[in-house]
Amino acid sequence: MDALIKNAKKGDHLAFAMLFKENYPFLVKYLMKITMNPDTAEELAQETMAKCVQKIHLYNGQSKFSTWLVSIATNTYIDQCRKKKREKNWQGQEEVYRKLKWHFESRNEEWNDCLEALGKLPEDVRIPIILKHYYGYSYEEIGEWMKISAGTVKSRVHNGIKSVRRELKLGEETESHYSEQRTTK
Amino acid sequence: MKKQKVIILNSEQQNKQDFDAIHELQEGLQRIDQFPVYTPNLQWFEQMVIQEQQNKRKKLISDLSVFFIVAFIILSGMIISLYQMPAIFILVQIITTIFIVVYTSVRLMKKANHI
Repeated sequence: MDALIKNAKKGDHLAFAMLFKENYPFLVKYLMKITMNPDTAEELAQETMAKCVQKIHLYNGQSKFSTWLVSIATNTYIDQCRKKKREKNWQGQEEVYRKLKWHFESRNEEWNDCLEALGKLPEDVRIPIILKHYYGYSYEEIGEWMKISAGTVKSRVHNGIKSVRRELKLGEETESHYSEQRTTK
Repeated sequence: MKKQKVIILNSEQQNKQDFDAIHELQEGLQRIDQFPVYTPNLQWFEQMVIQEQQNKRKKLISDLSVFFIVAFIILSGMIISLYQMPAIFILVQIITTIFIVVYTSVRLMKKANHI
């Protein structure tokens, strides 16, 4: 195990601080992708780090420290969504990506329609898609973190991709291209 | 035979569409990765860790205090009832045993039905 992690486990706050500083951009960017909101991502990153300090004795070093952070961050976000839904503070999926879009536009960066399609998906579908197809984690790992079976993760990813395709009208283009080909023949 | 060919083509087409969608998703997400993130300095992280370690210690002390107070109250009640009212002590023991047996069997039955 890394010397920094060993020291952090012993309670060395400088080792902890160095570990967090090293992994902070990765963590915030991951949270930005799943929350689609830079402010929420920063809040959740702090909450995730606080949980890490409390749970460091549970880290066994089998996976990378960043992977462990991702698993804690995912659970923290899911818990926050559940809490908001219970308190009926849920803004709905339509609102999720607007803040990120605004940040993109204010920096004159090109907005991607795919991000909009991803933002329209519920968080329990968006998270497995990002973890599987962007970070390359296995269905089993994702299932373990989200406390669902690997089969459920697989079907959520599959249905999510289908929704994204529909949103981007990827199927329609090829279908119309197909029907054109058929009529010309 | 012809029908089979059409099915294969459709699934290939679908796979290609999925692949295109995934590729576009990856491109979009890569843009978020290029987004600048402000990282606070090392002192900020250190302060945060110290604060959290203090909170953890405070929580442990309060949890242990509650545990010892509750344990003291329960044990005192049991000892008093044993010497002053043995009938109530025996009744409590019987009720507790029955409760544990019923609770455990209900949980096991639920688990077995779920499997």
